[in-house]
Amino acid sequence: MGDFWFEFVDITQIVGDGLLFGATYALIGIGFSLIFGAMGKLNMTYAAASLAGAYVGLAAFTFVDAPALAVFLVSALASGLIGFVVYVACFRFIPINNHLAALMASVGALFFVDEIIIHTTDGSPLTFPAMFDYVMLELGPYGVRGDLLFVFAVCIISTVGLLYVLYRSRLGLATRAVSQQDVAARLCGIDVHRTNAVTFVLAGLLGGIAGAMTAAAVGVLSPLITIPLTVKGLIVTVIGGLGSIPGAIAAGLLVGGLENVFLYFRGVNERDMYVLLLLFVFLVFRPHGIFGSAINRD
Amino acid sequence: MAYYLGLVQLIGIHTLLGLSAYILMLTGQLSLGQAGFFAIGAYSAGILTVIFQLPILPALFIGALIAAFFAFLVGFPALRVKGLMLVVATIAFSEFVRLFFFNLSWRVPRGDIVVGPDSTNGFREIRYFVANGWSAWEITAFVWVFVVLVMALLWWSDRSRTGSVLRAVGEDELAAQSVGVNLTAVKVAAMTAGGFIAGIGGGLYAHTATYVDHLTFTVLLATFAIAYPILGGLSSVFGTLVAVIFIQGVLVEGLRFLGDWRNIVFGLMIIAAMNLKPSGLFDAPTARILKRAIGLDERGKTGA
Repeated sequence: MGDFWFEFVDITQIVGDGLLFGATYALIGIGFSLIFGAMGKLNMTYAAASLAGAYVGLAAFTFVDAPALAVFLVSALASGLIGFVVYVACFRFIPINNHLAALMASVGALFFVDEIIIHTTDGSPLTFPAMFDYVMLELGPYGVRGDLLFVFAVCIISTVGLLYVLYRSRLGLATRAVSQQDVAARLCGIDVHRTNAVTFVLAGLLGGIAGAMTAAAVGVLSPLITIPLTVKGLIVTVIGGLGSIPGAIAAGLLVGGLENVFLYFRGVNERDMYVLLLLFVFLVFRPHGIFGSAINRD
Repeated sequence: MAYYLGLVQLIGIHTLLGLSAYILMLTGQLSLGQAGFFAIGAYSAGILTVIFQLPILPALFIGALIAAFFAFLVGFPALRVKGLMLVVATIAFSEFVRLFFFNLSWRVPRGDIVVGPDSTNGFREIRYFVANGWSAWEITAFVWVFVVLVMALLWWSDRSRTGSVLRAVGEDELAAQSVGVNLTAVKVAAMTAGGFIAGIGGGLYAHTATYVDHLTFTVLLATFAIAYPILGGLSSVFGTLVAVIFIQGVLVEGLRFLGDWRNIVFGLMIIAAMNLKPSGLFDAPTARILKRAIGLDERGKTGA
């Protein structure tokens, strides 16, 4: 009985930690979804740009000794800027209906950003300042890590901020109009290119926060995170339903929670394999994701 | 000389990799999983010759069949949904395969040494060619027999009903469907064929390199696989071959003086190419101009 109780506490503790950390996946998933919703295209550079933003934030921390919160702000701004550049370089001038070319260009940008990071850091991992890692809340048999709680809180705040912009501002109205019917939006006098650029910047801001959060929760920034974060972000987007923001949130938390369970039972080397298998489970049994509509828009 | 023969072998193998993406791209689908199928072919063929001591031909064939089977398995659920889903599914699959071989340890004693895949340390001892006394020329010829066979087969099928069906799906799915083409079946068939070709390429790669590890089969390799046909255009299989020679022969070798900066240039060049020529460097209009210039296209002369 005692053993069972301890195991139960262990596992729920692990799932809880994972859920808190999953908030960063949710943010990355939201970013992919925003861009997919607006243009119907995948921006493969997104996760790499988010981490690049975190690197800029880390540079601000290291060289100018910026305060902790400014690090997140700088990360977000840098990533927003990169988002704009990626939009101009990989999406703006490529024909709207040529999905493959835009995708390929953004893969090129992914390697470009990745290589820049590897060059400036010599490919070695850097320590990222953790926030509130000295705090440990005691809830009965459970402990809640302060840094993870902080990550979770910031993610919620930024998601609420994003939803506010999307649903309560003219900018958001334009963004949603373009994502629903870009021809109709253009006929109403909305500048589609400008709106798309704004969407990329918005997603970038969010990504910068997510990148800094990931780094703060893990404790290090390394070029080795880029591809796994890209893949997990894409998985979250698909599991949540392409283009769905609530879906991305739910899927992000789901992936975060399950990831820790896999880690507990199978170890760090095999963890990601099961996360990847999760995608195929969804592709077979629920191809449109948790909240995805059944409309086949290609 | 051995160095240049090695380069010629690599160009042949990468042509197979590019063609495996090419056949799927005819149907308008993009797969970032070719590195995964390539890895499956490489490890399967290697395991078959090293651990089961099969001759090279059946090993390559079985390895390619296994790769094709997995291509079918991945393609079927993903292609039912929509185009971009395949990109995500295949990139996930590719990473899955890489992690699988990262964890795979299957060591068997052979004589006084232990052989087989050794997780992070990679899979050494794939020494079939050396053990059987093949010369570098023979290995190169062996690789290119497969390249020529696959190219001939694709070139021929492009001129048959198969090619028309594939291209019809790629041009306009709705129109293709309305003349009775089963979209999912065509795409999954193309995906499976692509997996088979990538599997052969992988098997050849493992045996020419004698050593593979999980880091060989990253997303970068998958990007190379789709970069070849995108750069070469989809008008003919020769575009892919030209693109491979251009990238592996000219760029990778020619830019060696740039050292580490080469990869940065690679990313920038993909972006530039996609902006300037979204449908490939050797797209249909360019191919026509080139053909006219070297006098292959008769229409250009008589039509004017």
